[in-house]
Amino acid sequence: MTHPLPPLGRRAALALGLAAPFVTSRAARAAMPPIIDALGRRISLPAPAERIVLCFNYEEFTAVAGPAGWDRVVGFSKTLWSAWRAAVYQRYLAPIPRLATLPDVGNTDDNSFSLEKVLSLRPDLVIMAEWSFSAIGPQVKQLEALGIPVMVIDYNAEIPARHVASTIAMGQVTGNEARAQTLAALYTDKLADIARRIKDAPSHPKAYIELGQGGAGVIGNTYWKGMWGRLLDFAGADNIAAGRIPGAYGPLNPEYVLAANPAAIFIAGSSWTGQPNAVLTGFDAPEATTRARLAPYPNRQGWPQLTAIRDGQLFAIEHGLCRALFDYTATYFIAKAIFPDRFADIDPVGELRSYHERFLPVTFEGTWMTRLTPLAA
Amino acid sequence: MSAAIPPAIAHWRAASARRVAIILAGIGLLAASFAIDLATGPAMLPIPAVLRSLAGQTTDPMTQAIVRTLRLPIALMAAVVGAALGVSGAVMQTILHNPLASSYTLGISAGAGFGAALVILFGAALPLPQAWAIPLAAFAFAGLACAMVASVGRLRQATPELLVLAGIACLFLFQALLSLLQFIASPEALQQIVFWLFGSLQRASLDQVGIVAAVLVAVAPVLLADGWRLTALKLGDERAQALGVRVGRLRLRAFVAVSLLTGAAVAFVGTIGFIGLVAPHVARLLVGEDQRHMLPASAVFGALLLSVASVASKLIIPGTIFPIGIVTALIGVPFFAWLVLSIGRGR
Repeated sequence: MTHPLPPLGRRAALALGLAAPFVTSRAARAAMPPIIDALGRRISLPAPAERIVLCFNYEEFTAVAGPAGWDRVVGFSKTLWSAWRAAVYQRYLAPIPRLATLPDVGNTDDNSFSLEKVLSLRPDLVIMAEWSFSAIGPQVKQLEALGIPVMVIDYNAEIPARHVASTIAMGQVTGNEARAQTLAALYTDKLADIARRIKDAPSHPKAYIELGQGGAGVIGNTYWKGMWGRLLDFAGADNIAAGRIPGAYGPLNPEYVLAANPAAIFIAGSSWTGQPNAVLTGFDAPEATTRARLAPYPNRQGWPQLTAIRDGQLFAIEHGLCRALFDYTATYFIAKAIFPDRFADIDPVGELRSYHERFLPVTFEGTWMTRLTPLAA
Repeated sequence: MSAAIPPAIAHWRAASARRVAIILAGIGLLAASFAIDLATGPAMLPIPAVLRSLAGQTTDPMTQAIVRTLRLPIALMAAVVGAALGVSGAVMQTILHNPLASSYTLGISAGAGFGAALVILFGAALPLPQAWAIPLAAFAFAGLACAMVASVGRLRQATPELLVLAGIACLFLFQALLSLLQFIASPEALQQIVFWLFGSLQRASLDQVGIVAAVLVAVAPVLLADGWRLTALKLGDERAQALGVRVGRLRLRAFVAVSLLTGAAVAFVGTIGFIGLVAPHVARLLVGEDQRHMLPASAVFGALLLSVASVASKLIIPGTIFPIGIVTALIGVPFFAWLVLSIGRGR
């Protein structure tokens, strides 16, 4: 099966001096299998992309393509990494020094995405998360009219088929298909393992997850359907927010939390900057700091009476784990918190460490998932 | 023979020539700003490449796309929308005898904002793509706001006081409805609504520029034909009536015309404030009250102000586009303050 570029795109490529990959890949073109992205769209590429604009999911890209894969990247949405996950970004700067000088194309979250900047980088592929893809609307057509395909990846929806499709597609377009297959198989196997362990569970304990960006004094967003909402489902928890918030995320009425009386509470932390009360987690967070930031939560109005608090079932969990290829480790953590017997032999943090050792160029350290009070041994 | 011309007429002709010169100077500045708007952007294209692309001599489809499908519609939209808002503000100030009037005062922009938010929230069910459904709804609700104010004007006498009161009621109504939508919106939709309200030229296409320009071209002759009547209106309702102007009808006709203009302008770019307020004041200061000069001057200076704001929005932080509504106000407010203070000193 061949996937010829539209005539304009090929001419553009010649004019840009990018002809080499297209000309020399005649054999590869025949060998390049069809690429299907997370939304089931067919992407036509004659050969692995050489000039990629990458707009999200940088850790997934790195896992699939390795630090060398970044040589194919000519631009990215910088602040989604450098500001949203500052500590993570800092860690990746050492193995991928190119990040420091790579052009920023802006992002759709703060409306700074610049199509002109993207075009000026002369990409042969744009990789976008679903939420950005739907936000740029008609601009996709402008890119495609120039022969620049837009490939959609989607880890936010937490739909396993999309995790797999996104991973495989990134492997194909960067020439790392075997590694992508390994990663996708790992993810699928781990989810299957979790499903098997909770299959005949007699009950689904109630659980509540809240974003800890503002600390205990602020009622943070909770999640349903996408992101954490689906991880709670995978873990066999009964999400108290289900059907109680209008969209996929938003704050829950604090009174309702008391009435629902969850058996386990998870506060999503991260390495946010400029948030003095935020629950800090991630590479740079010592366990004592994470616990100190978590400590005020049990003193919220009415919380001392909650089953979760009385049973010591209050946890911090890194927010970056709710829309990632390695999010099965967070699902393990949630599942083990509510079904300790069924997951006694599983070490969720160990799983995350091993994923880093196998697939990522940074050393795993810090606090990513923990309990406020250590379990009495 | 020139000695035969009475001094008053000679004076009027000289003043008229001076005003035309000022308008032409404004057009010159607008052309310069338009050129800078085309020449700047995050792609940092060299100026010769931009010129070659405009002349159709480029074979590089990227440069072509950047200049012709991204920058050109934005630069044109800034000029056309600025002109439309400048004219509509000028006419509003005249017919309402109120130097603070603009399309904002009478709730027309608020109506447009509500219409846009409605589609952002519930538009998924519409068969139209959002790129057209939002402007259509914004325009429709701007029209609704205008119709509400105009019908109050028709039921009673269309005095400025009554129109302003009806308009302010309309403004608060649509603002409340908009707040309600924001309250029930999901975070993503809320963000989209806020960005729309900030105003943006970034999504402009040549088709949309064409639509706003067509409305401007259709409405401008109607207003210019009413030029002397509008000037007479500045003398006060009674005197205008004594001069044969049917004041109520004129006011409603002009009001509907500028509402169309405002609706079309804000439908595509969001609520860009300030132009409609400041441009007419600049025009009045430079060419005086005669509507035959003031209306074109308002259009030119409105276009100039928005075009300069469009350039500034790209240059404040290179690579990032500042919301145009915010930039317009940030440029406009100090300028306006200076203007108001200097008028005070002149008198």
